[in-house]
Amino acid sequence: MLWKDNYEIGVPQIDEQHKELFRRVESFLQVLRSQVSWEEKVQKVNETLEFMKGYVVEHFRDEEEYQKSVGYPGFEAHKQIHTGMVDYVLEFSKQYEQSNHDEQLIQQFGGKLLAWLINHVAAEDQRIANYARKKGDELK
Amino acid sequence: MKDQIFKAYFDATQKVFNLMLNISEISAHPSEDFKCDDEVDIAIGITGDLQGKVIYRFPVATSLNIVNTMSGMQFDAVDAFVTSAVSEIANIISGNVLSALSENNMDCDILPPVQCSLDDDKEYGINTSCRIDTAIGEVCLEIRLNRAA
Repeated sequence: MLWKDNYEIGVPQIDEQHKELFRRVESFLQVLRSQVSWEEKVQKVNETLEFMKGYVVEHFRDEEEYQKSVGYPGFEAHKQIHTGMVDYVLEFSKQYEQSNHDEQLIQQFGGKLLAWLINHVAAEDQRIANYARKKGDELK
Repeated sequence: MKDQIFKAYFDATQKVFNLMLNISEISAHPSEDFKCDDEVDIAIGITGDLQGKVIYRFPVATSLNIVNTMSGMQFDAVDAFVTSAVSEIANIISGNVLSALSENNMDCDILPPVQCSLDDDKEYGINTSCRIDTAIGEVCLEIRLNRAA
């Protein structure tokens, strides 16, 4: 499984969204790397890409709301990382459409998405959790 | 300066391997011992107070182990997916290095990862390399930088 329990940040809504994101990416990778022909894969791949475009934006918005609610000092920098990823997904999506669904392009996208997602959740998002925990301890 | 920059790359590699691949122990060795015929070479250009590039040399076996570990799937050959995934790892390590350099008052930025060859005619004030050993294989870092004038 892609998801690891130590990726949890302790905020149920965000953790559920992360798990859903990992489930979708895992299912996407399984289709992308399956041995069936590209013609058989392309519909599922395109559906996942459409899902990602919507869900990622929704998740990033909720996560940013949470960061603001706890006064996370790294909010602006984190928001920039989100914006960079959304821009990348939209730009990639445009190129992919223009290439008439080129498989090499989507394989490149899959590799970057895998590494980006793991790093973002395992490293960047953990900073929010650490801050919230520390703040909670100080208020006790 | 050379030691400071090398330490920033080593520490960032250790941090990224730990967080992303759950590998906590890595060690540095002379690059002369790095013997590899088949590798994925990724360059990350650097601009700002330091200028040049760092080349991450991932042997094929290491590249496949990295992607297998991250995905939980079995990859048997380097292709566009694997190259892109290890390029992103190089990008993430370099991003971490920027934060360390910034703490030492060096303001730098990085360019997107590109597959590259090792050949380079330019002269560099800081030209060093090292082999890093990890539980899933070796990586060689070639650091080629100049201080901005």
